[in-house]
Amino acid sequence: MSAPHWSERLQRFDRRWIFLVMAVAVVVPLFLPLGLPVKPDRMTKAAYNAVEALPEGARVFVSVDLDPAATPEIEPYYRAVILQLKRKHARLVFATTWYQAPPLLERYLRETVEVAIAPAGTEGYSGLPDRPYRKHVDYVNLGFREGKSAIIQAFGSDLRGAFDNQADDGTPLDRIPMMDGITRLSDFDLVVLVSAGSPGAKEYVQFVGTRYKLPMVAACTAVSTTDLAPYVQTGQLLGLVGGMAGAAGYESLVGKPGAGTTGADVLNIGNLVVIAAIIFGNVVFFAGRRHRRRGGRP
Amino acid sequence: MKRTVPLVIGMMFGLFALAEFYVPHHLVGDLSDEFRSWAAILGAAAFILGGVNILQVSWPKIRRREEDWPYKVVLLASAAIMLLVGLPWHKLGSPATAPTIGARVVDPAVAARGHAVIAIDVPADVTYQVGKTIGAGAASQVAVEVEPGKVAIKLSRRLAGYRALEGEVTVAAGDVVTVGGDPPMLWGKDGRVFVWIYDHIFSPANATLFALLAFFVASAAFRAFRARNVEAALLLGSAIFMMLGRAPLGGAISDIFPDVAQWLLDVPSNGGRRAIMMGAAVGAIATGLRIVLGIERQHLGSDA
Repeated sequence: MSAPHWSERLQRFDRRWIFLVMAVAVVVPLFLPLGLPVKPDRMTKAAYNAVEALPEGARVFVSVDLDPAATPEIEPYYRAVILQLKRKHARLVFATTWYQAPPLLERYLRETVEVAIAPAGTEGYSGLPDRPYRKHVDYVNLGFREGKSAIIQAFGSDLRGAFDNQADDGTPLDRIPMMDGITRLSDFDLVVLVSAGSPGAKEYVQFVGTRYKLPMVAACTAVSTTDLAPYVQTGQLLGLVGGMAGAAGYESLVGKPGAGTTGADVLNIGNLVVIAAIIFGNVVFFAGRRHRRRGGRP
Repeated sequence: MKRTVPLVIGMMFGLFALAEFYVPHHLVGDLSDEFRSWAAILGAAAFILGGVNILQVSWPKIRRREEDWPYKVVLLASAAIMLLVGLPWHKLGSPATAPTIGARVVDPAVAARGHAVIAIDVPADVTYQVGKTIGAGAASQVAVEVEPGKVAIKLSRRLAGYRALEGEVTVAAGDVVTVGGDPPMLWGKDGRVFVWIYDHIFSPANATLFALLAFFVASAAFRAFRARNVEAALLLGSAIFMMLGRAPLGGAISDIFPDVAQWLLDVPSNGGRRAIMMGAAVGAIATGLRIVLGIERQHLGSDA
């Protein structure tokens, strides 16, 4: 009895070898970065330009709809856009429609809003410095509300009512001067959607974006990019930052490389491994098929 | 009655939700906001139902020692722990909200400088803000010299889950005032235990599960992505262009990769996606109308 054809042996090889190669491909670039230049795509540039076009002190609503799983892809964008908004002294109002998000949002506020992300003298950063924001003076956290698309509709028509007219810490919104004149989403100059899935950017577009003609930009995971890209073409989203590659591009535009830029190297090598696996798998497949057609043993 | 009442309620609310888009009167808007509040309350109530349901499903399996019953124990125990630590127990007591103002003495040397001193007496892991001076606690008292008058004091911990102590003290030139306090731990959704579990258990577990996708995608790429026919070959070719074009590596090799990736996204992908979205929207309208008009009754349960 002859030995199985090499293609047959390869098709049955232990898949843990692939896991090992992928693990190496993910870990090594973190320690030995390639440092390839990051070029932002058109949708990312559009999102950046929408924020740049805001007037000083603009009122911006930031919906942080994500869980820890999505943070590697989306958090770099969040940090970059918050720095950009703080450079413009934008007044920020935060909220979330994800029950997994509140502790994450609290941490983001402590790490990016209440302290300066890029104070004067930050190494490798040549942009304008930002400053620490003060709670209820420069920013307000409205917190979490359950209700998915229904609550997003409520944000559109009566934001204060949706949050019982109080901030997350119970402070009445009437006592917060920066909330003067804000009753619904259309009172904001821009809506920034940091969105890892549903409910998120898609629901904002479908339920309130078009209806109230809201200027909105969004960031999403790479797999959601194809879902949301049509809304950029139609102008319902002013820009879209897709996945880690988009976030890395956004960081390059803002001028402060961070986790997105580091992650882009991982993406480079990780994608190469997947491409190599596809090509290798197909070589094995076609070799096996050719062998069988020639009457070889399967 | 069992069928008619829910049907009529569904029809009324469905027709109202539809009409709301076409009637710009403020009373209609106000009523819509009210209904949306109801929807939000119902959504929140669903969490309670979900909890009861988990108990109903899991408990009998644990009792009968069915397959994987230990996982059900872990599930119920985890849910119970999160419920307990998520309650604001600190509200049962009366934890401090302001720093403790201690002894006040007059120091001629400080008076000569025209200043006052706030002596901060806090644990080492507590940070203080006295006026605009920020610092950390130490084994012994920390002296902060301030201008006479009202001085704002804030004591907090860097860790989340503790209540900051905020207060004010009025000092005259030469005053040395001792201020102390230990920011109390909070319970509930902003409490220390809840945040610790979120940061140290939920976040890593959640991220790990998602990260495993990279390994499964690589494995599937080898085993399943076969160019068996023209359509599959086109799919694989597009995937390779997208993977190279959406990563900096593609642009570094040639501008063709990002350009082709963008074209694939803008034209075939968006076109196909738009067709699916439009089709789904028409389907949703049809289903909505069937429910509103009482033709579709499956949502009322098997008895309907």
